[in-house]
Amino acid sequence: MASERILLELKAVGKSFGQNSVLENVDLAVRDGEFITILGPSGSGKTTILRMIGGFTEPSRGAILLDGRDITGLPINKRPFNTVFQDYALFPHMDVAANVGYGLMVRHIARKEVQRRVGEALELVQLGSFAGRYPAQLSGGQRQRVALARAIICEPRLILLDEPLAALDVELRKQMQLFLKDIQREIKTTFLFVTHDQEEAIAIADRICVMNFGRILQLGTPRDVYYRPQAEFVARFFGDNNLIEGVLAAGESGYRRIDTPLGVLRCAIDGQPDLATAPNGARAYAVFRPESVVTAPDNVGADQNRASGTVADISFAGATTVALINLEGGEGPVPARIKIASRVEGVALSPGERIAIAWPVAECRLVLA
Amino acid sequence: MSTALARASVAGLPLERLRGQAWPVALATISFGLPVAFILLPLMAFLTYSFFHVSGGTTYYDLTLLNYRRFFTDEIFLPVFWRTCLLCLEVSALAIGFGYPVAFFLASLRGRKKYALLMMLLVPLLMSYIIKIYAIRSILGGTGFLNRTLLDLGIISEPLTIFVYNLNAVLLTLTALLIPFAVLPIFLSLERIPRNLLEASADLGASDWQTFGRVILPLSLPGTITAATFVFVLAIGDFLTPQMVGGQNGFTFGRIIYSQFGTAFNWPFGAALSVILAAVVILAIVISARFSGKARELR
Repeated sequence: MASERILLELKAVGKSFGQNSVLENVDLAVRDGEFITILGPSGSGKTTILRMIGGFTEPSRGAILLDGRDITGLPINKRPFNTVFQDYALFPHMDVAANVGYGLMVRHIARKEVQRRVGEALELVQLGSFAGRYPAQLSGGQRQRVALARAIICEPRLILLDEPLAALDVELRKQMQLFLKDIQREIKTTFLFVTHDQEEAIAIADRICVMNFGRILQLGTPRDVYYRPQAEFVARFFGDNNLIEGVLAAGESGYRRIDTPLGVLRCAIDGQPDLATAPNGARAYAVFRPESVVTAPDNVGADQNRASGTVADISFAGATTVALINLEGGEGPVPARIKIASRVEGVALSPGERIAIAWPVAECRLVLA
Repeated sequence: MSTALARASVAGLPLERLRGQAWPVALATISFGLPVAFILLPLMAFLTYSFFHVSGGTTYYDLTLLNYRRFFTDEIFLPVFWRTCLLCLEVSALAIGFGYPVAFFLASLRGRKKYALLMMLLVPLLMSYIIKIYAIRSILGGTGFLNRTLLDLGIISEPLTIFVYNLNAVLLTLTALLIPFAVLPIFLSLERIPRNLLEASADLGASDWQTFGRVILPLSLPGTITAATFVFVLAIGDFLTPQMVGGQNGFTFGRIIYSQFGTAFNWPFGAALSVILAAVVILAIVISARFSGKARELR
């Protein structure tokens, strides 16, 4: 498990190409032994961060510290990090054993020792019998595991993974996620994993760093970023959150009111002191998840927000059924999505039906617009 | 339904629409007929001609191995043949030696600079062969650029004659002329190496030299072998360069063949020597294909 000790630190690191800034000045502290995921859409700057840590790209500003020591200008081959590349970057003219042993061989480690450690690494990634194959003779998942074995064999302080699962199909990707997590627990090395896939990030990471527009928008546990988004982008990025626009009103300890077309909603703001001090009248969104909503509530207490509206559309989506509701607002209908557990006989809702809904205040959050 | 759709879209292709009409037959005839008429038939004619023989200025058209026997028994031809093969191997090695660094430099450039330099390298290919030979000869000659530079630097006290009218001159001229043919295949094979392989190598702790020796060099080997073959084949078939810069001492196999068709007027013997030369060329191509194929199949 991750300790609190900081392994790697980015201090006000930024990158510009000419006038074009791809990474604003970013601060990030990676803890020793954690599995941290950098999550963002393409162009968010996530790969730039990885490449700067690996030494493939020079930062335009700021410093990168390893154990508190500045490594900003250190060449790639002098950094105690290894990378799993997006398309694996296996050497096509070497067999699996030579690929995996490459990092040891260039350090002039004795052949016997190399052989032993290659064997161990291949056992770890369950490719023991593939030592003599060439990359062209392997499947995508196998290449992936060779790339991982090649990265871990040098016992780096940090392993960088650049969207390593992007090329795999869904089933294999899920297997590999679990596999990566198991390996990470076993070798206790810090993993920094870059991806654009929210579900993947949630499934795999100890902490998620959400990025967009070259900025870090939120850094926290998967539960944090999922249930407590701190930015509109984060709220929209995870699943199909409902965002109801309004203006901030008075608050009390741990809660804040927001004046929306649906009326005044109460939102939990624990852990976000900035929301407690934001001025009244500031534009913001109330955010709640479709699965937090209950339909036809019996007795609604002060710990619930409520609204009512008309069912516009119902769609079956496997485990859940999604209903689109036009909630009644002051200035016309406000669309919202709710999710109900599916049943074989369908759900007790039909389009055109008027319903009342409620959702817990504790699961209703605020983000500033 | 999807297969019906697929069939419909295939039928919509222009070539497919022509099926069953006269056009495809005509196209096939041309694409197979031209090589047969202009390459295969002349080669066959040559092969046939090599079995005739000339005696006392008269050509006899009965089939015989006399020409081949003469090549292998006469003490003039075999030494020239071996010397020419060796010379062309040297040209090949020199062209690779000079061409590889050039190609490497070219491949390491980015954007417009790369293609500007590539164009400069290719421009000589558009110039007349004879003009290029004259140009190089004037550089190598007694009062040429090379001698004058060496004189000015005080390295020599009088002009050297070792660069003109001998095999050295042929070697240097052929190398200079054929370097572009060496650079291109090497450049292309270097260009095909994915950048992230070099990043992976450095990431795993390799120095630049280690990356070159363990990744770049092996992966550019197929192109390098192709380049060597190109140069060898072009050099061994050349008779004009040795003719113009070789003088009395720079006698090569190509010149012997040329003389059989010219001054000696012995076409059957010239044809036989040409067949032997063609055999060497084919052998070189087969060996090269074997080697570069082996290096390539792993990619």
